[in-house]
Amino acid sequence: MKNLINFLIQYSVVFLFLFLEVISFTLIVKNQDYQKSVFLSSSNSVVSGMYEWSNSVVEFFKLRAANDNLSEENTALKNQIINLQNKLSTLKKDTPDSIHFRIPPEMEYQFIAAKVINCSTNKLLNYITLNKGTIDGVKPDMGVISDEGVVGIIKTVSDRFSVVIPILNNKLEISCKFKRNNYSGPLKWSGEDYRFANLNDIARHVELALGDTLVTSGFTNNFPVGVPVGYIEDFKIKESDAYYRIKVKLAVNFRTLSHVKVINYLNYKEQTDLEKKAEEQ
Amino acid sequence: MPVVLQNIIRFILLVLFQVLVLSNIQFLGYINPYLYILIILALPVQMPRWLTLILAFGLGLIIDTFTNTMGMHAFATVLVAFLRNGIIKLFTSIEEGNNPTPSFYSFGVSAYVKYVVVLVLIHHSTLLMLEAFSFVNFGITLIKIILSTAVTVLMILGIQSLSKK
Repeated sequence: MKNLINFLIQYSVVFLFLFLEVISFTLIVKNQDYQKSVFLSSSNSVVSGMYEWSNSVVEFFKLRAANDNLSEENTALKNQIINLQNKLSTLKKDTPDSIHFRIPPEMEYQFIAAKVINCSTNKLLNYITLNKGTIDGVKPDMGVISDEGVVGIIKTVSDRFSVVIPILNNKLEISCKFKRNNYSGPLKWSGEDYRFANLNDIARHVELALGDTLVTSGFTNNFPVGVPVGYIEDFKIKESDAYYRIKVKLAVNFRTLSHVKVINYLNYKEQTDLEKKAEEQ
Repeated sequence: MPVVLQNIIRFILLVLFQVLVLSNIQFLGYINPYLYILIILALPVQMPRWLTLILAFGLGLIIDTFTNTMGMHAFATVLVAFLRNGIIKLFTSIEEGNNPTPSFYSFGVSAYVKYVVVLVLIHHSTLLMLEAFSFVNFGITLIKIILSTAVTVLMILGIQSLSKK
């Protein structure tokens, strides 16, 4: 008994060390279970409050670029309004019984404007913190886009903040397709350069050209169809390969990201419930 | 200034510097210095080991909270805190009664440089391999480890050579 106690006292530091390492490792593994991790992540209000403060300094230097983007988007929107007005007036003339006119259910979206208050691009697992949370209607799994294209998907939400997994995180795959010929595949980041990602699932019979536009496929419930993701920068195929190895230049510049929109797909619940039901039967 | 107060101030300043400045700097996309490890490296030599371990765990968790990497920094930092005493014994011959703070003066230049390089290398390789969690792109991870270690070591040595005895 005395020997046992002596042994325990002698090696107490080693036990403490092992105990702390086991806790850390459990945290790393448990982190997959992301709903539980809201407390110890940057959507925690103390941490995000600090980030918001530090961002208020840095934001000043990004104003010029943000202004340019806003005015560009403004004009694009105005053009769209004119187009739609024209269409509307022609519709009214041609079809007097326009009561039957309905918006397709997969197109019913609303945008929630949000500001990026923390963003990293240099790690293998990057995350972005936004200044909108449950109060503003943000929920996990919603898509996030900027004026340029796809940013990522909401991971965790607190009352006033939310954390996004961007394309620059190799846990995330985004289903996208070519605008030109509709072939689709999953886009994944390689962890090397914040400007490029890889697409490795396009079969060799597909015709590709440098600069082809890649857009979201609309097969997931996060993004509407046709949001730009990137452009083909380079593609390779060996004699023996069945699939292309495509290098994609991302549409969004993550280094200068400041304003984004969270996509609130109004029929999300109806669609996922229906799909779940079909899988269960 | 009493040693305890000095260490507390160093803790706060380095944590703030790490999460507000260093984690946002990107050189070449590969280099990401983790200077906060200096907090553990600069603790007095005879500090009780259990206290060092718990401090390291707390420090790691704070950094983890800011970078959304649950547990990774805690794991690497606790490992460094555990191995620290062994490394000190290996490179230096400090007498029983003394309790110096590690520096060029107390260890000697070559022993201190070795001490810093070995521990920073252990910390960065643990951290970056945990982050990758696979050996698929091991080449990139290796480059990241070497470059980040070099930058962190240079920063630590720079800070130490500026500070007075």
